[in-house]
Amino acid sequence: MGWLRRYWYEPLAEKRLDAELRFHLEQQITAYITAGMSGDEARRRANLDFGGLERFKEECREARWKHHLDIFVRDFQFAFRALLKNRRFAFIAVFALALGIGSSTAIFSVVDNALLEPFPYKDQRHLVVMRVHSLDNPEHERFGRGVYSYPEFQDYLQQNHVFDALIGNAEDDVVYSSGENNVRLASNYVTPGTFELLGVAPYIGRGLEPADYQPSAPPVFVFRYATWVSKFDADPSLLGKSFTLNGVPRTLVGIAAPRFAWGGADLWIPRDPIAPTVLSGRPYPAYWGAIGHLKPGVSTREAEADLNVIAKRLCTVYPQDYPKRFIMEVTLFPYAVVSPQFRSWLFIFCGAVGLLLLISCGNVANLLLVRAVTREKEFAVRSALGASRSRLIRQLLAESTLLAVSGAFWGILIAWAGVRLLSAVMPQFTVASETVIEMNGAVLMFAIVVSMGTVLLFGLFPALQASRCDLTESLRDSGKGMGGSAGRSGLRNAVIVLEVALSLTLLFTAGLFVRSFMALQSIQLGFQADHVLTARLPLPPARYKTAAQLSSFFQPLLLRLKSMPGVSYAAEASTMPPYGGFRSVVQISGKTHTEDWHSLVQLCSEDYFSVLRIELLDGRFFSAAEANDGRKLAIINQTFRRRYFDDENPIGRRIYLSDFEKVPDPMKDAWFEVIGVAPDMRNQGVQGPIEPEVWVPYAVTGFGMRGLMVRTTSDPVFLINPIAREIRATDPTAAMAQPQSLAYYLDMFTFAQPRFALQLVSIFAIIGLLLVTIGVYSVIAYSTSRRTHEFGIRMALGAGAGEVVRMVVRNGLKLLMLGVAIGLASSFALSRIVVSQLWGVSGHDPFVLALAVALLLLVGFAACWIPARRATRVSPSTSLRYE
Amino acid sequence: MAEGKAEFLKGTLDMLILKVVASGPIHGYAISQRIQQISRDFFQVPQGSLYPALHRLEERGWLQAEWKDTDTGREAKFYALTRKGRKQLETEMLHWEQLSDAVALILRTAD
Repeated sequence: MGWLRRYWYEPLAEKRLDAELRFHLEQQITAYITAGMSGDEARRRANLDFGGLERFKEECREARWKHHLDIFVRDFQFAFRALLKNRRFAFIAVFALALGIGSSTAIFSVVDNALLEPFPYKDQRHLVVMRVHSLDNPEHERFGRGVYSYPEFQDYLQQNHVFDALIGNAEDDVVYSSGENNVRLASNYVTPGTFELLGVAPYIGRGLEPADYQPSAPPVFVFRYATWVSKFDADPSLLGKSFTLNGVPRTLVGIAAPRFAWGGADLWIPRDPIAPTVLSGRPYPAYWGAIGHLKPGVSTREAEADLNVIAKRLCTVYPQDYPKRFIMEVTLFPYAVVSPQFRSWLFIFCGAVGLLLLISCGNVANLLLVRAVTREKEFAVRSALGASRSRLIRQLLAESTLLAVSGAFWGILIAWAGVRLLSAVMPQFTVASETVIEMNGAVLMFAIVVSMGTVLLFGLFPALQASRCDLTESLRDSGKGMGGSAGRSGLRNAVIVLEVALSLTLLFTAGLFVRSFMALQSIQLGFQADHVLTARLPLPPARYKTAAQLSSFFQPLLLRLKSMPGVSYAAEASTMPPYGGFRSVVQISGKTHTEDWHSLVQLCSEDYFSVLRIELLDGRFFSAAEANDGRKLAIINQTFRRRYFDDENPIGRRIYLSDFEKVPDPMKDAWFEVIGVAPDMRNQGVQGPIEPEVWVPYAVTGFGMRGLMVRTTSDPVFLINPIAREIRATDPTAAMAQPQSLAYYLDMFTFAQPRFALQLVSIFAIIGLLLVTIGVYSVIAYSTSRRTHEFGIRMALGAGAGEVVRMVVRNGLKLLMLGVAIGLASSFALSRIVVSQLWGVSGHDPFVLALAVALLLLVGFAACWIPARRATRVSPSTSLRYE
Repeated sequence: MAEGKAEFLKGTLDMLILKVVASGPIHGYAISQRIQQISRDFFQVPQGSLYPALHRLEERGWLQAEWKDTDTGREAKFYALTRKGRKQLETEMLHWEQLSDAVALILRTAD
């Protein structure tokens, strides 16, 4: 619309206007002087005759501007009528544009919010995490150690040269006792400087300050906003009140900002830098997460170099925490919170919507090209009647702008709805708890600019063509040609071929996601997850330190639970399936070996296998009495037997679990007698390989995380409150954490993300297919309608309807096949990347590929067949007259 | 009207300009002189009001303008009629004749 303003800012036009009017005045003055007036008098009279100079200048400017405004309005009215005349075209073009803009904006917004700006924290792009990766253990490469013992953390804090702050945090369970009820909360101990570094002003009250970390400081804490709202009714009068947390009265000094959720905790407690224990005498957690803030100008590479030097020194101080050969890796914090798998999926989604945007732009381009050719004659006529080239271009520009603007409008609506939908259905724990998914303005602008660019480019391209073309030629030729000139139909066909190729790539990718999900679902878990309630049971540490104390709690509790109506079995378990227990080094009597043997170790009570409905393969399970007494008996799994016993009979043999001698409540002489063999069940997550596993009585040590597994006869969730009552009755200071059905956890942690990914990619593939169908249909329908005349002659000369259909379909299929061929090549190239991020599929899955090709060809065939049929239904006499 | 002189009827100025310009390229001052001279000073308007009309007609594509030297060697903006302008003039003159015939007829027969 530059021409609108041209006259306001063009100095030349302004100068000329001035010159023209002054010329008039001077001529008049000269005339009066010639007639005998004095110079002053002549000037006065001339000015009087002329009227206000400035006023007429303004009127001249206005005359031009108003004229342009008129034209502008008229152009748009005309464009609107032209689009209205061909509603199907306008609808499809706007629909394609809106889908492209909407879906790409929605996905890119999610990626931006989840990966690039996930936190409300100050300067998050300079926050980094550091991880120790073993160089000898490629399978664990991704899951290096990211936590540090407190002395080690202090060493990094003091010795590094690359951070201007390094803060640590450690999770701990806190039981809040309010007198009648116990609430279990997740707390985070934080080190000095945490609130200053994160730099988010609290909602009310204050954050933790340097004085709070002093050894003699009064005990305080800060609540998370969401916890304060959901568990304490957002009561502002709680500020300054004292809460008994793990037996220590602490003052609530602030409520953090709504999005502040550091470490995912409910509350934050300052960690005194010197004291080894929390006030209650409970030791601080052993390992601490560490987040550093890079000094200005320091890159992650430079930080890595510096930290590796320190790590090389520290590995001799803390040898048990470092692998033999290792490397320290520094990752941006926003990147570290989303699982690597989901992160790579997000990038795949980005690629997919990118393709979608391309397809929709291609579609719009083709529609515009086709439309331009059908209007060639209209333009030729108008240009013959004297419409200037600029006028024609202006009008097409107006049409394109109308299309683009309405496409953008609907696109924004789709993006808005898409972002709302995505953030609602995104599985829990996929992104950081601080992350808020919302529409990103910059991304939206980008998508709109890309599609507007397409519309304007392809909307104008034909205008330039049409206005340049030979009038007589197109007047004669138009309407009866063989489908437009070769050059332009070539461009159209190329766009279609490209669209088909892109769509095949999308379909194939979606197929791979489906296959991966099917593979995931067909995995044999080895246990029955339905009707099982699981919960962690963080016991007050002051009271439960030894095995005997533990047994004094669980023995009566399990008896109470088993006698509850609706409960079939109840068991203690240290870890919930599909995860085994902690990892220990094992030795077996009578076997010597050079490398370390490992096994997972599960602490459980007698009903463990009954709850999961597992039958032992061999031997027996330990009894209730043996479990409560902590007898040194062990059940091993099939993998253990196969790997370490070479299929000898293991019953009665003795195994040594050395890690029991190193834990806080150590046992002496950790040799266990094998009394049974269990079938394999998944113990490293659903997808992980099954490891050797050992089950031992829960009361052999007071150490370790404890939990409950209860088999119920109805929906397990109904029993949460009754079970909570029994726990309180057994010990009023104990409370369950995260009670939930096992099936729910399995779904959430194993299937929810892949299902989400699968649905998303499928939606993209379907939209892509839809757009391509529209694209193929519009081009074939167009070229068929152009050949109505030709078909009429052919049929008049005796060609059958079938022959005509075959001709049209063959033409369309040629394009489709070419697109499929290119699509296959690009699918193979891309599938390598996709497959590396998927579980249980190969890159050359012939089934998926065949299905994708078949689906595409089928839909493409239909898109050709319908216009072909229509062409044959026209009677020859009509089609000969057809223009 | 004061002193028996008339303002332009709406739209007639455009027609008069087109008519004057039709005889060949001419600059704004000369156009105003011609109109006053032909109408024997019947129309009484500020000379400046000619220019917005000239610019409007130029924008519509009825006039085209060119900067040329006058006889006295000064540079001035000369207006000329375009093909569209000539057609427009014919249409307007036709309309005008029809209108004035109709008005004259009514005035004659109404007595």
